[in-house]
Amino acid sequence: MEILKQRPSRNPKEVLTFVLLVSLSSVTLLTTLGVILSLVGDVVQFFRRVPLLEFLLAPEWTPLFAEPRYGIAPLIAGTFLVTAIALLVAIPLGLSLAIYLAEYASGSTRPRIKGTLELFEGIPTVVFGYFALLFVTPLLQWAIPDLNIFNPLSAGLVMGFAIIPYVSNVAADAMESVPRSIREAAYALGARPYEVALRVVFPAAISGIIAAIILATSRAIGETMIVAIAAGQRPTLTLDPRETIATMTSYIVQAATGDQPTGSTAFYALFAVGFTLFLLTLLLNILAQWVVERYRERYE
Amino acid sequence: MNRSLESPPQAFSTDPWKTRIDRAFARALLIPLAVSIGLLALLLGDTVYRSFSVQVVRADEGPGKTYPFGLSANEILRQELLARGYTEEEISSSLQDPTERRVLLLQNRVELMWNTQDGPFRYVVTGLRDERVEDFSLAEGLRRWNELKANLGEGERLVLNPWLDQSFLTRPPSRSPLTAGIGVAIWGTAWVLSLALLIAIPVGVGTAILLEEYLREGTLNRILEVNLRNLAGVPSIVYGLLGLALFVREFGLGPSILAAALTLGLLGIPVIVVTSREALRAVPESLRQAAFALGATRRQVVFRVVVPAALPGMVTGVILSAARLIGEAAPPLLVGAAAYVPFFPNGPMSEYTVVPVQIYLWVSMNIPEFSRVAAAGILVMLAMLSGLYLMALYLRNRFRREW
Repeated sequence: MEILKQRPSRNPKEVLTFVLLVSLSSVTLLTTLGVILSLVGDVVQFFRRVPLLEFLLAPEWTPLFAEPRYGIAPLIAGTFLVTAIALLVAIPLGLSLAIYLAEYASGSTRPRIKGTLELFEGIPTVVFGYFALLFVTPLLQWAIPDLNIFNPLSAGLVMGFAIIPYVSNVAADAMESVPRSIREAAYALGARPYEVALRVVFPAAISGIIAAIILATSRAIGETMIVAIAAGQRPTLTLDPRETIATMTSYIVQAATGDQPTGSTAFYALFAVGFTLFLLTLLLNILAQWVVERYRERYE
Repeated sequence: MNRSLESPPQAFSTDPWKTRIDRAFARALLIPLAVSIGLLALLLGDTVYRSFSVQVVRADEGPGKTYPFGLSANEILRQELLARGYTEEEISSSLQDPTERRVLLLQNRVELMWNTQDGPFRYVVTGLRDERVEDFSLAEGLRRWNELKANLGEGERLVLNPWLDQSFLTRPPSRSPLTAGIGVAIWGTAWVLSLALLIAIPVGVGTAILLEEYLREGTLNRILEVNLRNLAGVPSIVYGLLGLALFVREFGLGPSILAAALTLGLLGIPVIVVTSREALRAVPESLRQAAFALGATRRQVVFRVVVPAALPGMVTGVILSAARLIGEAAPPLLVGAAAYVPFFPNGPMSEYTVVPVQIYLWVSMNIPEFSRVAAAGILVMLAMLSGLYLMALYLRNRFRREW
């Protein structure tokens, strides 16, 4: 096919089609450009009013107070807390599903399990948020009496289930691409299936597994509706999962649905938080790709 | 890939502990699947359960009567208004005037309740200002049914309310949970989704064709791929910020359907590119080579041979991405779907709300009855999604070709 692609045509219709396709696909590039430019403009406005050091170091995020403070630390702490809880759920569950998919599932059960996971992935997160707030939180409050109605614990637990497919799909792909000869060599040495899975396939696919975890982290950081509904919207610098907190995403939702006059510092703060979120997820995505490239075991 | 090793081979050693560990390990791996399915069942069950409740409602001006099953809506309304003291003439004149009739039906909704104090399956008329006195969960309400029935006050009625009923689907939202509906949001979703796909399909499919059929390994190819991979990882709320800054403010579209459609359209592109590329890649090389051998130009090969062959896969991909866009709440929230919208949308520039945003607003009101309205809304949204998934599944099986 590469050979067939190598003949540029001079026919005007052919050239026109090519130009049309290129201009259509340039929209994807423009989107990236648009995200960066639209955020950067407002972020610059924000940092004209608020010094960078305050943004990074101040311990409070209170844009609507009479004396507003703009320290991103509470939002980062909230995001970190929810993400950590979600990963505590998603990593063990997702990885064991991935091992099952790659090593144990037979040809007919594999698509069925993947179908169930797709179903999970397809449920809108606002539904998970509803479930966290109205079902999981009362259940947890029964076990932990001094739990707030809005808390990162139930939001994180439910989000953990919501991101299982992101962990298991990527990790299963990585494990499935480990060549069969390696497995058979292990079996020939007398290894048990569980030993093959844990000691041979798992280490061989470790770069893909780490990438899966990084990608799921990025998902969890950017996840919005579950935290906006169930974790609350009060920025607090704490790591106590019983307290009401706010994450970067839930602050953006709260600020965007409230009335903040265009051009106020609080309005620009929205974009500063959004840009931080964008940079963080972008870095994680690049890191995941780098890990895959750098630490991939090659079997030629 | 161990497809040929369907069942892992019997090991040579016969250490009984290892055999036990082996068996336990295989079973333990399935626990997460069971837990996830259980959670899904709980979620669905809880939503359905919450969408029913037993209520004591005080009619604001009506008599608090219920009407037998089988009457027409007009007849019920007539009887209700008669009981409120309107004269025959007033009633028949307002029922004949289409505008007045519409207003009348909007303010006084005839709803079929599954059970009332007068017996099962009766109609009740719910006015805008009717007041809910008490709201009980299904179990408690049914257990205390007789006790509640005995203690009803003047003009009060006891009903088993299925929140998800026919009129819920067509009503505009309301500040009262009794009369809140999801009609406006459904129309908003339909508008936003169709306009968004109008943007996302050509761009997504065009990019996929360019990447799969035209470009050689090279700089443009690499730039597009890296960019798409990163775009797919950008949280949807950041797209919302882009929409707010660019479409709502810079382009001056305001909080309109068009702004939301542009935002969601951009969000849908990466998914459509990925699924379309998979569909194109599944078309065998031999088909392309045969077409080239017959003297077809690249355009002819791509658009008359490859794309038609890949079409079922592409359509399935588009449907799945549409399903994903329907459930997105964060971007529309940022581009202005937050407001309470009492009117049905009538064009790309009108204000709007979409189903997931409406659900979010109901949930975040933190009032028990509105959580019931939200449950009904979630059931509607899940029904829409399952419809789309079934359609995708059908297309995938119906038009699947083995090459």
